[in-house]
Amino acid sequence: MSAATSASRPRASLFERLSAPGRGWLTVPAIFFLLAVFIFPLVLIGLYSVNLLTNRFGVPTNFSLVNWESFLPPGDNVFWGRFKSSMVITLLVSVLAVIAAYPVAYFLAFVARKRRYTLLLLILAPFFTSYLLRVIAWKVILANNGVINSVLWQLGLREHGDGVTWLIYSWFAVGLVLFYSWVPFVALPIYVVLENLDTRLLEAAQDLGAGRFRTFFRVTLPLSLPGVIAAFVFVLIPTTGEFIAPLLVGGPDSSMFGNTIQSFFQETPNWNYGAVLAMWLIAVVLVLVLLFGRFLSTDLRESKATT
Amino acid sequence: MSVAASKTGGRVLGGYFVLLAIFLYAPLAVMIIFAFDDSFVQTLPWSGFTTKWFHNAFSNEELIDSLKRSVWIGIVAAILATLLGLITAVGMTAHKLRLRGALTALVLLPLVIPYIVLAVGMLILLNWLGLQRTLLAVLIGHVAVSVPYCLLIILPRLRTLDQAIVDAARDLGASPWTAFRRVTLPLVMPALFASALIAFTISFDEFAIASFLVPPGEPTYPVYVYTGARTPALQPQILALGSVVVVASLVIVVGAELFRTRAERRLVV
Repeated sequence: MSAATSASRPRASLFERLSAPGRGWLTVPAIFFLLAVFIFPLVLIGLYSVNLLTNRFGVPTNFSLVNWESFLPPGDNVFWGRFKSSMVITLLVSVLAVIAAYPVAYFLAFVARKRRYTLLLLILAPFFTSYLLRVIAWKVILANNGVINSVLWQLGLREHGDGVTWLIYSWFAVGLVLFYSWVPFVALPIYVVLENLDTRLLEAAQDLGAGRFRTFFRVTLPLSLPGVIAAFVFVLIPTTGEFIAPLLVGGPDSSMFGNTIQSFFQETPNWNYGAVLAMWLIAVVLVLVLLFGRFLSTDLRESKATT
Repeated sequence: MSVAASKTGGRVLGGYFVLLAIFLYAPLAVMIIFAFDDSFVQTLPWSGFTTKWFHNAFSNEELIDSLKRSVWIGIVAAILATLLGLITAVGMTAHKLRLRGALTALVLLPLVIPYIVLAVGMLILLNWLGLQRTLLAVLIGHVAVSVPYCLLIILPRLRTLDQAIVDAARDLGASPWTAFRRVTLPLVMPALFASALIAFTISFDEFAIASFLVPPGEPTYPVYVYTGARTPALQPQILALGSVVVVASLVIVVGAELFRTRAERRLVV
């Protein structure tokens, strides 16, 4: 409705007057709720990280950067090492998931035709079942006497009882489970971009003599890059703080940064040090969002409402 | 003849798609297969068919209680998150909205902040308020992480709504509230349904926040499942009830999606 029609209407009720210039005030409950549940706790974590609050008895609450100095380089901190190895596996999983999902998106957009909606639903459906249960299913597959090892024994490929040791409680297991859980989801943004691609451009390329491969690498792939980057970030951001998969299929040497944070709040409570790690994780995620945020465009970002 | 793939290329891509689909469903199949396996230990060869783990699971009161807890928290979280999402979405369709950018950032923030940080934050908040860990805190956390998803579902639906229909109702004398209740609301119903379903799914499956905030002795279903997965004696029961949960959620997700597309096709004139 245009502002003119609502202004010309006589005898505005209280509801109308409250809502006439805009319904913006309806966002207030959500603002207060999110400030209380998200922003304020982040401030508290910040205060813990500089020792202005503490959960440890007898530790003075004076401003101090001692935990930050201990964690950040230079200095060969074990938790900084954990952060680095965690980021390596995160990047690896993100890249592999995108590479594995691309042909699926391509197939759905260009080959599957009429059945593509059903097929898309088919591969997305597992994503909506319990993540925890899917990780547990992988534990059954990868365990020392699990599905893969016992098949190897039955086939006589390995001595009975002599399992492949790196299958579980390893970086391999953590990476595989993360890859598994993200592949269906990352196919989605790539599919959306390919689906909206103007196929006349591909025809033009082929009319001009380009083969299918050349058309793909010179036209399709570059045009689908926004979807590819969006897919990459869709995996990268949540995986940066992952801690569930390593709890179940990771070992002592293959736990992620999220597990380190968890241990400082559960097993060996030192909230001050844990807060430093949590703040660092937020900082990393926010930098990623600032770098790649424009590829994650959503309807919410429209500068002007259409109503 | 397609410009994007030759006949052979199409077949190769099709074959790849089938392989990936098998990879995606294999763990679910493994879970179901071993839920019926007589042995304590999940290994091949299969020891024989049994339904005893299902009987054990359904008579394990702690497990069933945790399931009920999660269903209740999920239902309440779904209703609250969808209501808050709807109210906020209506607010965000306003013409003039001060600090739209900041507001958008605030409501989308929970999508990018790792759950482990949210969990730690809420734990610290409870401590700061001098409160014990409660299921209410778990519920609040679940509403908070669900709201952005609810908004992302409801807001586009509100925006694509034909404003002329609402204007027509207003010109015929309907108050803004009546126009909203009688015109807008029925039109966004499929989106509200989808939003509630997503919020329920998020809450029902949520482990990170719950593991930090559940009171001792009152685990939610994922928290109990996690404990069970690390206790060999409980693992077969976890797989049995897990199979039921996985199959149920597949049926619900696919069913709801088919329902939603049909309902929206009927509504979009």
